Amino acid sequence: MRRAFDLTPKKTHFKPRAKAVIQLFMQGGPSQVDLFDPKPELDRNHGKSILKDIAKDLSSPDAAGGLMRSPFKFAQHGQAGTYVSELLPHLSKHVDDIAVVRSMFNTHQNHEPALFKIQSGKLMPGLPSLGSWVTYGLGSENQNLPAYVVLDSPEGRLPTNSGQNWQSGYLPPLYQGTRMRSQGTPILNLKPETDEPSSVEKLSRDLLGRLDRMHKARRPGELQLDARIASYELAARMQLSASDALDITQETPETLEAYGIGEKETDGYGRQCLLARRLVERGVRFVQLFTVGQQWDNHSNIGTSLPSICGKTDLPIAGLLADLKQRGLMDDVLVVWGGEFGRLPIAQMRQGNDLKKAGRDHGPPGFSVWFAGAGVKGGTVYGNTDEIGWNAAENRVSVNDWHATILHALGLHNEELFFEHHGFKEKLTGVEKVRIVDEIFA
Amino acid sequence: MPALPRRILLSIFALVTLQFGVTSSIVASDADVPVFEQDILPVIKARCADCHNAATAKGGLDLSSMAGVRKGGESGEPAVVESLDESMLWIMIEGGDMPPEGETPLTKSEIDIIRRWIKSGASSSATESETIVTQHDVLPYLYTRCVVCHGARRQEAELDLRTVESILKGGKSGPIVVPGRPAESLILNRIHAKDMPPPKELIRAGVRPMESSEINLLAKWIEQGAIKHDITPDVQTAQADGLVSDDDRDFWAFKTPVKPKSRDSDLSPIDYFVRKKLDEHKLTPSQQAEKLTLIRRVAFDLTGLPPQWNDVERFLTDDSKNWYAKVVDHYLGSSHYGERWGRYWLDVAGYADSEGKRSADPVRSHAWRYRDYVIRSLNEDKPYDQFLLEQLAGDELYDFENSDAVTDEMMDALVATGFLRMVPDGTGSDIVDTVAERFEVVADEIEVLGSSVMGLTLRCAQCHSHKYDPIPQRDYYRLVSVFQGAYDVYDWLKPTSVAGQSKQKNPTRRYLTQVSNDVTTQWQEARRPVEDQVKAAQDELAEKEAEFRAKFIAEKLTDAPTEQHDAIREMLKISAPKRNAEQQTLAKKYEKKLTATSADLVKKYPEFRKVKAASDKKIKALNARIPKQPMIRALWDRGEPSPTWVFRRGEYTNPGDLVGPGVPSVLTDGQTPFEMNPERPGSTGRRLAFAKWLTAPQHPLTARVIVNRIWFHHFGRGIVESLGNFGKTGVAPTHPELLDWLAISFVENGWSFKWLHRQILLSKTWQQSSTLRPESEERDSDNRWLSRMPLRRLEAEPLRDSLLVTSGQLDTTAFGSPDAVVGRADGLVTAKRQEAGWRRTVYVQQRRSTLPSILETFDLPQMNPNCVERPNSMVASQALHLLNNGMVRDLTRQFAERIEAKAGDDRYKQVEEVYQDALSRKPTPEETQLALEVLTQLTSEWENRVKSDSNVKDGSVNAETPSAETLALANFCHVIMNSAEFLFID
Repeated sequence: MRRAFDLTPKKTHFKPRAKAVIQLFMQGGPSQVDLFDPKPELDRNHGKSILKDIAKDLSSPDAAGGLMRSPFKFAQHGQAGTYVSELLPHLSKHVDDIAVVRSMFNTHQNHEPALFKIQSGKLMPGLPSLGSWVTYGLGSENQNLPAYVVLDSPEGRLPTNSGQNWQSGYLPPLYQGTRMRSQGTPILNLKPETDEPSSVEKLSRDLLGRLDRMHKARRPGELQLDARIASYELAARMQLSASDALDITQETPETLEAYGIGEKETDGYGRQCLLARRLVERGVRFVQLFTVGQQWDNHSNIGTSLPSICGKTDLPIAGLLADLKQRGLMDDVLVVWGGEFGRLPIAQMRQGNDLKKAGRDHGPPGFSVWFAGAGVKGGTVYGNTDEIGWNAAENRVSVNDWHATILHALGLHNEELFFEHHGFKEKLTGVEKVRIVDEIFA
Repeated sequence: MPALPRRILLSIFALVTLQFGVTSSIVASDADVPVFEQDILPVIKARCADCHNAATAKGGLDLSSMAGVRKGGESGEPAVVESLDESMLWIMIEGGDMPPEGETPLTKSEIDIIRRWIKSGASSSATESETIVTQHDVLPYLYTRCVVCHGARRQEAELDLRTVESILKGGKSGPIVVPGRPAESLILNRIHAKDMPPPKELIRAGVRPMESSEINLLAKWIEQGAIKHDITPDVQTAQADGLVSDDDRDFWAFKTPVKPKSRDSDLSPIDYFVRKKLDEHKLTPSQQAEKLTLIRRVAFDLTGLPPQWNDVERFLTDDSKNWYAKVVDHYLGSSHYGERWGRYWLDVAGYADSEGKRSADPVRSHAWRYRDYVIRSLNEDKPYDQFLLEQLAGDELYDFENSDAVTDEMMDALVATGFLRMVPDGTGSDIVDTVAERFEVVADEIEVLGSSVMGLTLRCAQCHSHKYDPIPQRDYYRLVSVFQGAYDVYDWLKPTSVAGQSKQKNPTRRYLTQVSNDVTTQWQEARRPVEDQVKAAQDELAEKEAEFRAKFIAEKLTDAPTEQHDAIREMLKISAPKRNAEQQTLAKKYEKKLTATSADLVKKYPEFRKVKAASDKKIKALNARIPKQPMIRALWDRGEPSPTWVFRRGEYTNPGDLVGPGVPSVLTDGQTPFEMNPERPGSTGRRLAFAKWLTAPQHPLTARVIVNRIWFHHFGRGIVESLGNFGKTGVAPTHPELLDWLAISFVENGWSFKWLHRQILLSKTWQQSSTLRPESEERDSDNRWLSRMPLRRLEAEPLRDSLLVTSGQLDTTAFGSPDAVVGRADGLVTAKRQEAGWRRTVYVQQRRSTLPSILETFDLPQMNPNCVERPNSMVASQALHLLNNGMVRDLTRQFAERIEAKAGDDRYKQVEEVYQDALSRKPTPEETQLALEVLTQLTSEWENRVKSDSNVKDGSVNAETPSAETLALANFCHVIMNSAEFLFID
């Protein structure tokens, strides 16, 4: 018998810490040594070449410079004294609500494979994404909205790997991410693309309903036909629900301000963050936010390009954390922040030898991510990179560990969440041994 | 060494040691603790050594000596390490996995002594002899890290590192290896100094530096004398294979089918075997479907298009006994048959017009020839064995490199090999062009082959011996070796480069230019008119330029005395060396002033600038229209395969035994060598031998797998439900006799698809009604016993094609370059309209990153690497697309206009025509009544709208705005195209 799939809420494997996930995905690779992982050794050895040692990690060896100190200042924040760089002044006020993991690593130095890995567990395309696994495992608490929503930048520029970031792979298409736009029509084909009187639309709908019922009456017992009628009804409900969820005019001016909406720099990401809250509030299971293009991919001019993307995202993220907390949603929602990798501690000199124009090349061997909400032990700093911030050294956390930890927070066991495919039990974490990073939870 | 602070270097080295320096120290035994030879070996000999001995070594594991225990199996890990919990031997025993099911389990005391032995340090009385390092422990790393520059294609520093002989010979700087003296060996010095591979060349060359464990092995081999050990590739010999037993072969799918007898003269064999199972389950077949239903069903089934109404009428009035056979033959003979059934094959082949894997997703500009090959082959009813042979080894069938003329057959055979070039491939980008990513491509091809043709989950054996089926890891790598003549991970042909992501100089590519004479002639003929136009445009521009230059000279000449004008003009016409003295003097004085380049003229004369800009634009556009040289995206054997090593755990950095070409032992008698008889000079003949083995009539899987697939497409369910997995974890056939009867008869009837379709379509089973009866619903709810015909939703392509043909917008032009797709800012992707409408969906570009939205919404899969079975989803986005999408709405309006052209403004007639075209039937009186009522209401609503619109404007009705009647009819058409009846086939 073929299995039927739906999005009704499913039982968890054990008591969950969180019901929903907001993934603040920072595609491009945020530089850990300039944000969360200060390295005095870099100051001391600024300019020294380690080319022959680091060569295997370089994607453009021709542009490799020496070790490069961070151009930004770090300070300790909060009760716990978590180090955060000056580029994130707003997040710094929330460090006691977040757990920073400094020892993540990925296994490819190029965006596409590294993205496949962090979204779906392996370096190759075609596999279900984390959000698909979560909605497959948990269903959704709102049947009138997609269970897994992707909010990409309002400019509509898709991230690298585009829709493959939220694909459902071999899981049924029901579980793939639905891209919602914060401007214009939120979901593809949500509204008629030609103009017609609402009375006409109603007449047409009614006629369709009658014809379909007549068709079904002649074919009693055909469940497919019921499912199809249901899908048309859901489509109609979605038109209302999606519009309502995305209507931020319902928010107070104070809230809008807290997210930076209305300010040129933060308006775009602020809207995404606010929508994320409105969606999890309505029972959406997994909300994944993408930033504009690849602005964390600071190959050059890191002194100006990194502050720029931090400036766009810092206030909105702080606004989101504050808002979730204030509305009592923090305990139910897991917020995760991070990219597909970090950056190397050496300078990348794409534009001649001017250190002022230097950036950093992709750095998969060690990078920082953070978690918040869902009973995360605030103020935690877990794991460490080596003295120059190159390789994750202490309490290393693999991408598979990270996946298992997120599933764990949702009450799902990575070994028990599987899908029968071609006779095999496929899992998000594959056959690798994984470790749940329990230390970040209270 | 760079001047790094000591602490940093230490930490860097500490990490390296952590990853690679783990060595197991074996504690010396004392009297109390168990010792391997005395205490453990007897247990092993009794319980394990049948499979894990030196000769057989199942799973690569030999437990008959302490050396074997230390070496471990194909996982690459030792069987025993310091900690009990991490020792594979213990994990397997404790977990109850070993001895395997069916064997007597170990006794408690046996388990106990093994536990104590490992816990106490796994003592052994054997003196630890030094591990022998052979050239095949070292060569894989040299192939991985070095031969791209020191190998077959390039020999930098005159150095070739592919064989022991060439290594010992050395290069330009003399010998690189001093046997017995690693410290004096140049190769090691260069590697240790991290000069080799050159750090700045890594990405370009597609290599990464050697790991320290690899360097240690190389050092050890040199220390032991750099000896060439006598090692030959592991291949099947005439001796019985130790890893796969006759018991393993005794599984239904691995045995050659035997033709069962049909014992009922009234029923066709298909109906007989189906009826037998129905009887067993106390079920009766459904009655025959109505004539009209059958016509529509056959048309969609064979062509993916609704029947044309005039055909329907003709069939309806045909009262002859064989009217139905005529219907079947009509659609089997249609050229649309190949478009429909070819698409199924393209799914299993993983057809795509782009490379995938990279965000840039470069287009494979010549891939479509393979699509055309498939469609044509099906229309011609090419025998399946030949179809396969061409796709797997077409390049080995003809001496295409040395032939004077390229025949159609030869070209077809080369195009056919595109089958093996379909998987996603990012290696056009240097950064993902290492052995790891190349091997992914090879592994994907083997997966396609396994799932589409062989019905085996071969991929499982890539990392370790298959857990469920008797496919040792060795057999997987023998298959890799079959492909190595063409797919060589150490000597790679690049696919289409990703713009800006490849710095390789003159990379070798995957195209052949051996197209047939006809194609060449066609190409040249197609070029000529466009090239003539280019030439004409260029001439025209040259003429204009000459005019302006003359004007320029005339203007400038005013500076010279009038009497010299003629002489100067004359001088300008003569080339410098031929000028006489007088002319040279004039030239010196005036030539520079009088010379104007095209750019000068543009600057000086705005009029000329306009002329030139227009002309340049025109020429550019024309040039873009010149048909590109026809090429073939092919796979061909290059005759010089690198060696094949098993990759333990599937990792290229973890090479194991040397293997040669071969086929899965379980599908053979296990004692017949795999023999190659190359037909094309310069080819290894490996794939040809493989293809011939695969298409042998008695092959246990080939015919079964394909007839099951054909059956699946006709019934929505395979006799074996797991289409790509006929192994032990697959689903057993519901009708084993039927499957075997079909498989054998298919082969007997020349592997003819059309023969097979006819058998199935003419069966009573297929002609059953789809109406669900209570007994069928209760006892055969998933229809596995075929007590009815299932109601089926149209797949993506027939749905889109039906929308197009019904609205009169289908352009039936077949073949050729695919129609481009365009993406809208909000993510909607559509195919571009051609002059006469839209072509059938199979001709729309299949770019992995931009699949047309309607197709994706209706389950067109992304090919990663292929699609064995499409999902069949029912989601709201489908409803939203059909209801709201602009193109669907445009089509419904065109449908309405088409109906008006046929039926005029007679509403009754209109409704009838809509039903006939869209649903292949006439409306019932009730339906007509309902339609007429709603049409009236819709018309009046639109009239109100038109009125209010005109009030706003000046009262005149825009001629281009459709009338309220047309708009209402379009709404009605829209409803019909959204109706369940349009989407579901009875």
